[in-house]
This record gives sequence, structure tokens and C-alpha cells, in this order.
Amino acid sequence: MNRLLVIFLTLLVSSVFAHTNEHASLGEQASSIKASGKVFHESVSIIRKMHPEFLRHKRDKTLRQGVRTDEYSLKGCVSCHANKDKTNNQYHSVDKKGQFCSDCHEQVSVSLDCFSCHRTTPKEDSL
Amino acid sequence: MNKTLNRRDFIKTTSATTIGVVTVASGITLTTFASTNKVPVTNEKRWGMLIDTNKLTEADIDGMVSACQKEQGWGSELHSTGSQKPGWIKKVKVKDKATGKVSNLALMCQHCEEPPCVDVCPTNASMKREDGIVLVDKHLCIGCRYCMMACPYDARSFVHETLSNQKEHMPRGKGTVESCTMCVHKVDKGEVPACVTSVNSDAVIFGDLYDASSKINQTLKTVQSAQIRADLNLNTGVRYSGI
Repeated sequence: MNRLLVIFLTLLVSSVFAHTNEHASLGEQASSIKASGKVFHESVSIIRKMHPEFLRHKRDKTLRQGVRTDEYSLKGCVSCHANKDKTNNQYHSVDKKGQFCSDCHEQVSVSLDCFSCHRTTPKEDSL
Repeated sequence: MNKTLNRRDFIKTTSATTIGVVTVASGITLTTFASTNKVPVTNEKRWGMLIDTNKLTEADIDGMVSACQKEQGWGSELHSTGSQKPGWIKKVKVKDKATGKVSNLALMCQHCEEPPCVDVCPTNASMKREDGIVLVDKHLCIGCRYCMMACPYDARSFVHETLSNQKEHMPRGKGTVESCTMCVHKVDKGEVPACVTSVNSDAVIFGDLYDASSKINQTLKTVQSAQIRADLNLNTGVRYSGI
């Protein structure tokens, strides 16, 4: 009985840790926005579920109709959710292992095709 | 001094104020739309370019090519061999066999009104925007390269290698076709294409072909200009004078 209890508690604790680690790579700007209490996305659950649709709609409007707004722009996602490497002050690519975008995509086994063409770090610094 | 306002005066002043307010308000809305680009582009405009080959020097063309490379981030492909390398804008020499006159052209996508690339594209990736700019939707491009074969100007190129560090405004990737976008990201902000700004003289004029007050429209009315391969009836947006 005790052994079962230990196993149960271990599972519980590990799942709690897994939950707290979920947003380890949220991104510097995104973390500071979250810490300031400002709401950027209308609902985290909606943006998590719907971001492919939002991006698809936005991409068609931008490319085909020239509507260039900030809302749901991939540039905006990258600039907010990119992490900086503390040692060399360079941005990590958002599609690199452990970074914001790839973190989730890897877990749910959905390929991340945006970044075979789109820039993975904010702005042009190294070019 | 204490004049009473009669009916006529009242109507006069109020209508004047209303007209004033309406004018200012419409001005404000117009500028807001222009700066944020919330409204889709329409066919009331058609963007075009006039290249004067008499004024355009070879150095100017080289400048245009490098300005395009810098703006759009092509040209530093490491693994592509000569013919595989992308070229969004090229320096082309044409010689009149009878007179021997040599002209240098800057040749890029001609942004045809009837683009053959759009006709042949099996996935609708090749497309023409309402304002006449011809683009490739890389989300739909399957890399079949029919458009490259259909284009009479050899304006399009294919990306043969995996790329990184693309420009933020110009996604480019392996397996897709690309060509001059007339710097659409700049045009949408009310700016002019990078190659046009790189030329110091007025050898290259960019503007709205339909707008009677635009410089390009007025120049086209006064100077003789030509389309390259005008016999194909594509009605190109890029025109040349002096050839």
C-alpha cells in the first residue's frame, strides 16, 4: 500500500513539475508582457488551438490583398517569443529544439513548416 | 454688436462648418488607411516602372542589382551553381544589328497585365494582385517551374538550397520559385522599390500608371517608350524608353 502511495505521489509531483515547466521558453518579451499582467492574446486556450487558422488567414490577406496589420503576424510571433542566448547575445531560432515554437510542435508531432522560408529570429542583425 | 442670427446666416455658417469638418475627417481617414494598410488593394491603381536606357548607366544597373540583393536577401547562395543561382534583376545588353547601338537594360519581372506565369500555374501560386504586382505565393508553390518556362523574360528563379537568415519581410525557401516583387512590402507602406531609390538620376521612375498626376503617367505621355516583346500582348508594367 505504501509503495503504491509513493508511486502515486511521485507521479503527481512530476506532473506538477511538468506543468510548471510548460512555458520555460516563452520568450523574453512575451515573459515580460505576461509578468506585467497585460493581456496580449484574447485567450491562451484560443490562441493555442486556433493559431494555425489565424496565421493562414493572415498570410492570405497579406500576400494577396496587401493587408499588413500587426494582428496575427508571424513576424510578431517571432519577435515576442524568441529567446536570446545570454553568452553571445544572439537570438535562438524559434524552431530550434527547446524553443517556444518547436517545443509544442515536437510534443504534438506536428511539423513546423513556416520556418523553412520565414526568418526564425527577430530583425536583421547578422546580415 | 449683439446681432441676432437669422435663418439664412444660420444655414450659411453651419453648412460651412459641416463641409470643413467633413473635409478634415475624410483627410484623416484616408491617411490612416494609407499608413496602416487595413484595406485590401484595389484595381484603381496599377504600379509600373519606366526605365530610361539612355540615362541608365552600367554602374546604375549594378547598383540596382545590389540594392535588390540587399533589400530582399538573395545572391549569397553558397551551394547553387551558376545557372541555379537566383537572379531577380539582371543586366542585359541589347544591340541593334543595323546601327550597332548598344543599350543596357535592367531586366526584372515585367509585371504583365496578362501574366503567362499565372496562366500556367497549376496551384494558383503564381498570382497577380489587384494593383498589378505579380507575385509567387510560396505557401502554394510546389516548385514545378512551369511559370519559369512560361515567362518570356526569364524573370523567375528557383531556390535550390536550404536557406536561413532570410529577410523578415521576404520569406524565401528551398523548392519554391521567386522573382521581383516590386518591393511590395515597401510599396504597401507608400515607399518606392529599392532599385528605384538606388539610382540617383531620374532614369528609373516608379509610380501609379493610372494616376494622371503621377510622374510616370505624365512622362509616358510625352516620351516614346516600349515594352519588351510587345508582340506578346502582355501589357507589361515595366516599360523602357530609349530602345
